[in-house]
Amino acid sequence: MTTTADELMIERRGHARSATRMRANFLIFLGPAIVLTVLFFIVPVLIDIAVSFTDLSRSLRITGFTLEQYEKIFRGDRRLTPVIGLTFIYVFGTLAIFNVTFGLILAIATTSLRNVSGSFFRGVWLLPRMSPSVLYILLWLWAVSPAEAGLVNQVLMQGFGLDAPLDLLTSAPIALIIISNGFIGASMGMIIFTAAIRGIPEHLFHAAAVDGAGTFAQIRFITLPALRWPISFVTIYQTLSLLVSFEYILLLTKGGPFYDTTVYALYVYRRAFESGQYAYGAALALFLIVIGVAVALLGWRFFDMERLLQRPRIEVH
Amino acid sequence: MAVKATPAVFSAPEPVVDWDVLAARARGLRRAKAVVLYAFLIAVSLPIILPYFWLVTIAFSAKTGVAETAVLWRSMAVVVPTVIALWLAAAFAQSRRQMWIGMGAVAAVAAFAFALLVGPDLHIGNFIFLWEPDFASVVRSRIGEVKGAVQFPNVWHAFGNSILIAGTQTAIVVTVASLAAYSLSRFQFPGRSAMLRSLLVLHAFPVLTLIVPMFLMLYWIGLLDTLFGVILVLVAFELPFAIFIMKGFFDAVPWDIEMSALTDGASRRQAFLSVVLPQVRNGILAIAVFTFIRGWEEYIFVFTFLIRNTNWTMSLYMYWVRDDVMGVDYGVVSAVGVFYLVPSLILYLAAQRYLMQMSIGGVKG
Amino acid sequence: MAKIEFRNVVKRFGDVEVIPDMNLVIEDGEFVALLGPSGCGKSTSLFMLAGIYVPSGGELLFDGHVVNEVEARDRNVGIVFQSYALYPHMSVRDNILFPLRFKKTPRDEALGRVKGAADLVRVAELLERKPSELSGGQQQRVALARALVKEPQLLLLDEPLSNLDATLRLSMRTEIKSLQEKLGVTTVLVTHDQIEATTMADRIICMRAGRIEQIGTPDDLYLRPASLFVASFIGSPPINLIAGEAQGGTVAVNGAKFPVEGASGAVTVGLRPEHLRFGDSGFTGHIVQIEPMGREILYVVETGIGIIRVLEQGSSATHATGEKVKIGFSPENSLVFETAHQKLLPGAHVHAPA
Repeated sequence: MTTTADELMIERRGHARSATRMRANFLIFLGPAIVLTVLFFIVPVLIDIAVSFTDLSRSLRITGFTLEQYEKIFRGDRRLTPVIGLTFIYVFGTLAIFNVTFGLILAIATTSLRNVSGSFFRGVWLLPRMSPSVLYILLWLWAVSPAEAGLVNQVLMQGFGLDAPLDLLTSAPIALIIISNGFIGASMGMIIFTAAIRGIPEHLFHAAAVDGAGTFAQIRFITLPALRWPISFVTIYQTLSLLVSFEYILLLTKGGPFYDTTVYALYVYRRAFESGQYAYGAALALFLIVIGVAVALLGWRFFDMERLLQRPRIEVH
Repeated sequence: MAVKATPAVFSAPEPVVDWDVLAARARGLRRAKAVVLYAFLIAVSLPIILPYFWLVTIAFSAKTGVAETAVLWRSMAVVVPTVIALWLAAAFAQSRRQMWIGMGAVAAVAAFAFALLVGPDLHIGNFIFLWEPDFASVVRSRIGEVKGAVQFPNVWHAFGNSILIAGTQTAIVVTVASLAAYSLSRFQFPGRSAMLRSLLVLHAFPVLTLIVPMFLMLYWIGLLDTLFGVILVLVAFELPFAIFIMKGFFDAVPWDIEMSALTDGASRRQAFLSVVLPQVRNGILAIAVFTFIRGWEEYIFVFTFLIRNTNWTMSLYMYWVRDDVMGVDYGVVSAVGVFYLVPSLILYLAAQRYLMQMSIGGVKG
Repeated sequence: MAKIEFRNVVKRFGDVEVIPDMNLVIEDGEFVALLGPSGCGKSTSLFMLAGIYVPSGGELLFDGHVVNEVEARDRNVGIVFQSYALYPHMSVRDNILFPLRFKKTPRDEALGRVKGAADLVRVAELLERKPSELSGGQQQRVALARALVKEPQLLLLDEPLSNLDATLRLSMRTEIKSLQEKLGVTTVLVTHDQIEATTMADRIICMRAGRIEQIGTPDDLYLRPASLFVASFIGSPPINLIAGEAQGGTVAVNGAKFPVEGASGAVTVGLRPEHLRFGDSGFTGHIVQIEPMGREILYVVETGIGIIRVLEQGSSATHATGEKVKIGFSPENSLVFETAHQKLLPGAHVHAPA
């Protein structure tokens, strides 16, 4: 037989125990992730901000704090304007031609085939994405090799009667970086649009066909309206990803000839690791970081917050 | 069989329809549509297939110092008709049995033609790097060039490094992400919603922008040019995305089974281990494979953070082989390429059904 | 308006033969129902009529012309889908206008016809709304208006009522039926609901596993089901089936002897619950359960020949659970089927045991 006081004590002890358990669970389950995230996301951002106010360079030693990096960005660096211009061309060119438009065309074309054939062509277009970057670019270098043995030159010379081999790496470097990135970007759009098209109820197409719509009318009145969300999703996220990535360009052209294919993100990299201007690189990177956070925040509206934040249905710990 | 005599309210004019013309037009349109579609897709796919095909043929056929292309075109002459024939076999077969018979016949003819046209040129001499640690010198001496720029480590060393990086990274990411995702999905605690929102930002955050401060940080704590440092960085960078994907998988596990585990006497931790975790096996598999692929393919961070050639991964090995031997021996470069590419492809094919989930995560429909 | 004919139509999906050999004539202006359980090929037949599926063999004729390969848009067919398939991003007006867009109908005339069709199904006040803002019944009407606005020669209805609640279903049933009578358009209704089929259609085509089991008026199917399948598919509560052996003028089942005429060998006797009555003669059993159904009472009776259901008019039970009863019936209401081929033996009857 327990008294009321005993019961109260048991209850209180229970509360205390569950609070302890909650803290323990928090540490066990989330602790490692939080430590890693803080260490490798928050700390680097802080370091970046701090370093951008120093004169850190090749010696990797900080001798003083200064605003000169920002002065350089806003006044001194004449190379920056063409770099930013090129970045715009590269990002929106790739996005408009490949990631959205061509991805969409591929998705529509492959979904209107039989399943097996459709997957085959989608599989082909996924090859670049499935290949390691070093290898993918190796193939490009071979394809556009200025020698007669280069694949493009072989085709052009033997198939189309071109006289002398082309050196595309020097004559059309910007087109090359757009196409080589676009081949990969298109597959991302293709995957997402394919899934979205598959998600359209088949009856809508049937109804439209019975109502008199031909192939193009069906695309215009059924497919495209259903793809509004996916298209803006791909646009936003691929803009960000094109803006910050430079891996393929670095491998293909090293940013050259001279600075002709050095987009902003690559410019950051080259300033820091080629010229050893780490502080300047950090200052330049800060702008990308800010854009990154902004776009990531913008991306919130693509997610179903309600579902994401849904309350757990078990309350005890 | 009551035929209604009531006049229609719509004054439908009795249309004169020539059904046969309509049928003929439909038939023509259907065919034209199929032809245009296939022609388009084949045209845009050839530029992709061709270089990969070239890679493989060179790897298995090129002789030292020659950029062999005759074999490429000859094998294309076998492969292209084969693919088309397989297609036709599949398209015209009336039953599954017929389809297999047709495909088998095509494959047999193709194999014969291939053996005849390409067979004599095939060899595995280009894979010399697999058994000759100092293959670069051998290759150089073969073509009479003596001095080489790069000292190559044994390929198996690079292979081991890549496996070590990818494997360790995968193990840590899977463990940490599963724990964190379970907590975020299933525990109610103060700050949960804020954490989920920041996770959403982090999972889309472009980590490449952090390469400069990360380099400095590794340098200052003495982990630059160590595999351990690179692994830590890669783990952290993969983590938010992996947690996000895993949370989606945990969200899909029915609450009932966890509730019944609790009523059956399990604690939350026991329920997590014995009841919920087995339900998200697919999710774990998906993030494991994709994290492994990322580790295996990783180039830019290892290129920036690893310097000594004993720390080389496969990507760096590939890069330097290309840089050093390129223009000298296409055969060896291709062979290394094939050796590097095949694991990626296999893993991708194994995990392709998760590709969609990994591409868009929890986006609303 | 059109006369429709299926001639040896076959439909395969890959290796699966959904419809092995279908022959059917639908007269101009007729309202027929394709009735059968799910997966029996009735929707497939409908989609072939619409031009969404192409027959794998045989001929499909409109007014005597083969239309196998004619595209959906050239067939002048209106269709209402189970899910209604309204275009989600278009207003009701644009939805109904959609078919006219491709007929190059002048704008003014098109809008007039939209108005007319909307009035016909009484959705005129909803024209500006989006489909997501409509109730199920309203969506259904809009789908009907969209199907009718182009004055189709053939109206196809694919389970049009299955997503509506019970009351709405009842009123839509009446409405569609009277609309069809008013317009006189040839109409094919696909349904798995026997009540829908019997109340709306002039003729019912009962299908099973891709084959037509029976074609006839609702009365034919109810009173003279050609097969055991039709007998058990039509009628609610379901028909009582008693398997036995006809020998020397009687069907013997577990001791009970039913005098029989016109049959011998293994037979199955079908007795509809509504044709059975409690009385002084017949076979005996005791009531194990009573299920009031509103205006009728269903008695579940355990007898020597198995569980028998008896339906009695009236809203309150006149018998109690456990009560011993005798069950009788008129011989002309009994159905006798050959067990081996599951076919009706026309003219065969059984009498209740004395």
